[in-house]
Amino acid sequence: MVDHTYRKKRERCVTGIEGLDNILNGGIPRDNIILITGSCGTGKTTISLEFLIHGALMGEKSMFISVTEATSKLLKNAIPYEFFDERLIEEGMLTFIDMPALYEKLGLEKPEFTFEDIDVLVEAIGNIVKELGIKRLVIDSITSVCYRLKTEEKIRSFILRLGKLLSELGCTTILVSEISPMEQRYSMYGVEEAIADGIILLSNMERSGDMLRTLQVIKMRGTQHSRAKYVLDLTDIGVLLVPMLKGVGGG
Amino acid sequence: MTVALKVGEKLEKMPEASVLGIKTSINTYFDVIQGILDNFANARGMDVIYVTSTVPATPILNALKMLDIDLTNTYFVDCISNVLMGRGEEEENVLYIESPTMLEMIILKVEYLIKKTSRHAERKKIVILDSINSLAIHNNTKILSEFLHVLTNGLRAKDAYTVIFMLAEHSSEELENIVAFVCDDVLAVEVEEVE
Repeated sequence: MVDHTYRKKRERCVTGIEGLDNILNGGIPRDNIILITGSCGTGKTTISLEFLIHGALMGEKSMFISVTEATSKLLKNAIPYEFFDERLIEEGMLTFIDMPALYEKLGLEKPEFTFEDIDVLVEAIGNIVKELGIKRLVIDSITSVCYRLKTEEKIRSFILRLGKLLSELGCTTILVSEISPMEQRYSMYGVEEAIADGIILLSNMERSGDMLRTLQVIKMRGTQHSRAKYVLDLTDIGVLLVPMLKGVGGG
Repeated sequence: MTVALKVGEKLEKMPEASVLGIKTSINTYFDVIQGILDNFANARGMDVIYVTSTVPATPILNALKMLDIDLTNTYFVDCISNVLMGRGEEEENVLYIESPTMLEMIILKVEYLIKKTSRHAERKKIVILDSINSLAIHNNTKILSEFLHVLTNGLRAKDAYTVIFMLAEHSSEELENIVAFVCDDVLAVEVEEVE
């Protein structure tokens, strides 16, 4: 008989995306910092938003830090989820922050950050998370933040420090990573993927002239998970997933 | 007994979550649809999800309206209009898929419609796949077999009925075997048998 009791099961942060929770054996291990990575149009922001909305609906305070796009525009373009309720924002369950505004407030409007600037930024994000009691955080995108860090050492320092702080605060974090379509790695600078506890890869896959959106969990510390490729559909009731058909040996 | 009655009666006898293959000729095609919709689904107050890869949804809708069939709770997944470059104005209750080769998208759209209509929890679902022959034009038999396996098992888990159409004029032993493998029963409807 197989003994399943030897391994203590990590508490899960249920994403609320049924297919993804199944793939992850119940959800993202709580306090993990994970990378959602993919090229443009693969659904990174949409999935991240759904993760936050479900969290807020389940009573977990959630926050979206937008680095590249003003949140007003983001909300206008986001899929009008059937389950999204604007009261979540009004009641403080769902918070949106524009990173450029935060840079301005912190005096970080500069093309390249120093190690001291990284300290200031990490501390500021940590303080907001702590004060608001945030349990789910999305930074969209980490690639844009890293653009101002320039060196591998600074990127490593930023993500390690941020990850440690957020984990101590009991916050499960998604870092959105942008890569080019033909990229052979999972992040722009190569450092992000090594530090993250988990990597979810989103792709546009062409098959016989059809373009399919796919999702694959590459790694996820703290849980067993499927590593298969899934096809996804972005709908007004949320992200739907189905295993990609293989048609092996078809003729 | 008419074709429509025969089809309705057959489905009545099948338990929930069953998969029925129907081998029909082109002559009895609309009688079979009428039998499923009028004599079974509408009579039981069910939601119908009609996946069409044979004919675009609009002509089927128009034909069924001519037959005075109630389509209030019938939803279409149209896999062929885009390929035929014939997608006109969007119809209400019709979801479009870019190509019948996007088999995963068929599964996802069916799942979407099941979830979307699940607010009527008391309403049972029936999914009609029309047809295996037209899907076979665009897909190899291996992936088609895999598709049917995933689709029917998923629908069984949701207690939904599944009906798979086979057009007698375009059938082959291989296709019939693929359908028979996932079906609980196969009903052959011949004109001469029922008239």
